[in-house]
Amino acid sequence: MNQENSFDRFEELDAGRAFGDLSSEEFNEWQQLAPQFLNSQEVSFDYLLTELELDKTSSTPLPSSLSQKLGETTDQFISGDNKDSDDQKVTPFVSWLGWGIAACLAVLLLLGPSEPKVATVAEKSEPKVLTVAEKFEVLKESSGSMLLEFAPASDPYAKVEGEVIWNDERQEGYMSLINLAANNPKENQYQLWIVDPERDELPVDGGVFDIPEGVDKALIPIKNALQVDKPTLFVITLEQPGGVVKSKQEVVVAIAKS
Amino acid sequence: MHFKDFVFFSDISRLKMALGIMPGTENLGGDELILPLVAKGDQQAMKRCIQQYGPVVWSIINRRIHHRLDAEETCQEVFTEVWRKAGSYDSAKSRESTFIGLIARRRSIDWQRKQSRLPQLSNLESSPDIPLASSPPPGANIDRKMIWEALSSLPEQTRELFALHFEKGMTHEEISDHAKIPLGTVKTQLRRGLIKARRLLKDISGKEGPKS
Repeated sequence: MNQENSFDRFEELDAGRAFGDLSSEEFNEWQQLAPQFLNSQEVSFDYLLTELELDKTSSTPLPSSLSQKLGETTDQFISGDNKDSDDQKVTPFVSWLGWGIAACLAVLLLLGPSEPKVATVAEKSEPKVLTVAEKFEVLKESSGSMLLEFAPASDPYAKVEGEVIWNDERQEGYMSLINLAANNPKENQYQLWIVDPERDELPVDGGVFDIPEGVDKALIPIKNALQVDKPTLFVITLEQPGGVVKSKQEVVVAIAKS
Repeated sequence: MHFKDFVFFSDISRLKMALGIMPGTENLGGDELILPLVAKGDQQAMKRCIQQYGPVVWSIINRRIHHRLDAEETCQEVFTEVWRKAGSYDSAKSRESTFIGLIARRRSIDWQRKQSRLPQLSNLESSPDIPLASSPPPGANIDRKMIWEALSSLPEQTRELFALHFEKGMTHEEISDHAKIPLGTVKTQLRRGLIKARRLLKDISGKEGPKS
């Protein structure tokens, strides 16, 4: 492929990257071409697409629970609580350098040269990114949170223990599970169901999760697919990989009742 | 504004005259810039930043992330990123809303990729190994009106795909179903349409072509 063809290919891949529709193979190709051509772009696709999106996006008021969380995060920015800021730079995503580079470059294209201002940023305290364990504890202390204990089902799950914390206002919850056997995600996965009688007779999908080998105690964030207002029952079942839309509850692992 | 309303400008100079070449320094609402204050660690400025741009960030996130808790976490990540990167904002190169909107867009797309079980993403703090762009102005002298104008010159079917994506908020898959066009064709037409629009914009703003 000559230089011109290579650039044309890079440009197409870069447009796809900005739309967010590259396949893994395409991204690998983009990654190979980027060092050669990235500097030659006068206007980034990210900039153009962001402008278009902003032009057609109506503002949606922030939910009160989110405003509260953002306020708490901001307070952490300012508190100067950076005694171990480097340690607290918890990476929220599993590191996979390639996509990180893509995202980084995309932002850098817009941000321009960092120059001296970066020093100012570096001097600021880093916000603390809470771990799931910390979020669990924070939610426990929040008003309106309910804490329920899991009761084990029959064998082979008779030794399962744990608790579930849930907050209606924040639509946030976590499970703490002990002695739940590791699963093979290729064969089956655990799935949480939330029963909210005031909402519907059908339980709400609370998310699919795995227990890795060697883990005795697991903390699992609840990922409710729908709004849950007054849950009375949390049920963990074992389902096919990816979970199911409606559970036959053939394998019930644990139940927490209000 | 709908880009179908535009007349196609074949004469670039007429287009430039009609639109003017406006630097991207307009701030949302014409208010005082907030990000330079955030860069200095101003707590009140950060709160104003969330108040002012939170709703649009939340809209961008909600367009792609329908799970409430994940959407909220992404929103927190966006403003954490804004806090860290505010010092790099240059009002001569983009509006504040674009600077923040781009971060929100990237974070949301990252989340989508994670969900599609493609290789997971690192956050934006990862140190890149490959050479970085020499950071040319990413959008100075180009405003939204000009971008829509450039898109108005695309073939009708491609314009329709852009409209479905940006005005109806459809994903590429939804566009494919709605328009009864193969997904690969949707992707290709959108990508090539964007490339063509950028080339036209470069001509409009007098920038050199990208080829080296």
